[in-house]
Amino acid sequence: MARLTPKFAYILVLLAGLALAIGDHLASRSMAGLGAPSDLGNACAPCGAPCTK
Amino acid sequence: MAKPTAAAVSPVIDERGPVVMIGIAGLFLAALVALDTGGRGVALFALGGALGAVFLGFQYGFASAWRRFLTGGEAMGLAAHFLLIGLCALVFLGAPTMGLDAAGSIAPVSVSLVIGAFLFGIGMQLANGCGSGVLFSFGGGSGRMMVALPFFILGSLLGSFMLPTALALGSLGQIPIAAGDTALPGLAVNLALIVVAGGGFFWLGRRRGEVMPRRLLAASLTIAVLCWLVFALSGQPWGVTFGFTLWGAKIAAALGVPVDGFAFWRWPGPRRALDHSVLADVSSLMDFGMVLGAGAMAAAGGALRRQDWPPARQLVGAALGGVLMGIGARLGFGCNIGAFLAGIASGSLHGWIWFVMAMAGSWVGIRARPQFGMTA
Repeated sequence: MARLTPKFAYILVLLAGLALAIGDHLASRSMAGLGAPSDLGNACAPCGAPCTK
Repeated sequence: MAKPTAAAVSPVIDERGPVVMIGIAGLFLAALVALDTGGRGVALFALGGALGAVFLGFQYGFASAWRRFLTGGEAMGLAAHFLLIGLCALVFLGAPTMGLDAAGSIAPVSVSLVIGAFLFGIGMQLANGCGSGVLFSFGGGSGRMMVALPFFILGSLLGSFMLPTALALGSLGQIPIAAGDTALPGLAVNLALIVVAGGGFFWLGRRRGEVMPRRLLAASLTIAVLCWLVFALSGQPWGVTFGFTLWGAKIAAALGVPVDGFAFWRWPGPRRALDHSVLADVSSLMDFGMVLGAGAMAAAGGALRRQDWPPARQLVGAALGGVLMGIGARLGFGCNIGAFLAGIASGSLHGWIWFVMAMAGSWVGIRARPQFGMTA
């Protein structure tokens, strides 16, 4: 049986990842600007967790 | 004396196929980014690529340096990390004085942070790489990281489900160091702390007869410049792991998991990221750039061809390490980049606590490595 080399697996995974990213981009609502979770909603952490008392 | 190989003398483009493929993918993604988010998005994507190439080219890692410190007392790697943090702090803390519309990363000091950083430390030793390490090594074609990355993404998604509950365990809120001072005294206090820590590690290294490798110095300086540019362009410090969380959530949602039923994904920031393209989130966009940048570098140098699969037990360790890092990154508000580097360089107490707890976790992880066929 042919051996799956890391290089071949890498190329497959990379292509699959790119296809998913492009598919998601084309299927998503457009946004006229980059964002990060901490930009909104009284965030206290980079992931966007809200401030709690 | 062994003759140096041609590849060692000068990196040659000997893998034209992958180089061309990665180049086309990069240009295509850049074009999509340009259509929606313009030059700023393209610049951040390119900076991600540059960071990937630099990290891979210099083999700049956190996990191995921490392991060498904990097992053999080698401290120059840690001294270099604090040099990088100090350089970043100059800009992150000096932003108001420079008129930059950007702010540092200050996360809550909480039970969640302590647990998360500890888990992350264990995971980074089992996987042989931290957040940035997994990403640039994956980009470089590492078989180990082809296993670690999907499990990191899975763990990160699980961590996002756990975070609201973990935050309820207790939090002291955000604690900036030297808060209330004007910008310059605050900067001085934080820089002094960083110099004491970095100088301490440098002194420990010198006492053992170590010298700071030029490679580490050059890497720290180059990465610091790239981090400044990311900070100025994105308005915040560079972060890696939220991108993984977002990818996991998008995939899970596509598979029918009711992701938006979890509290984390109803918070405004994550909600927005989930609703929009993966290329519209800064962390995710830069992660794509980092993979492609490292991939181009590896292909150009012929490294892709030289990769081999590690033994199965090590791959199990990589998978477990990936899950632990993913959960840990969400509970601990980031990885070595987003919490350790960005937290300390932003003058936040959470960055220092993250460092101590991740170091403790690394100590445990190193002791667990033989169970997975790796040396301690």
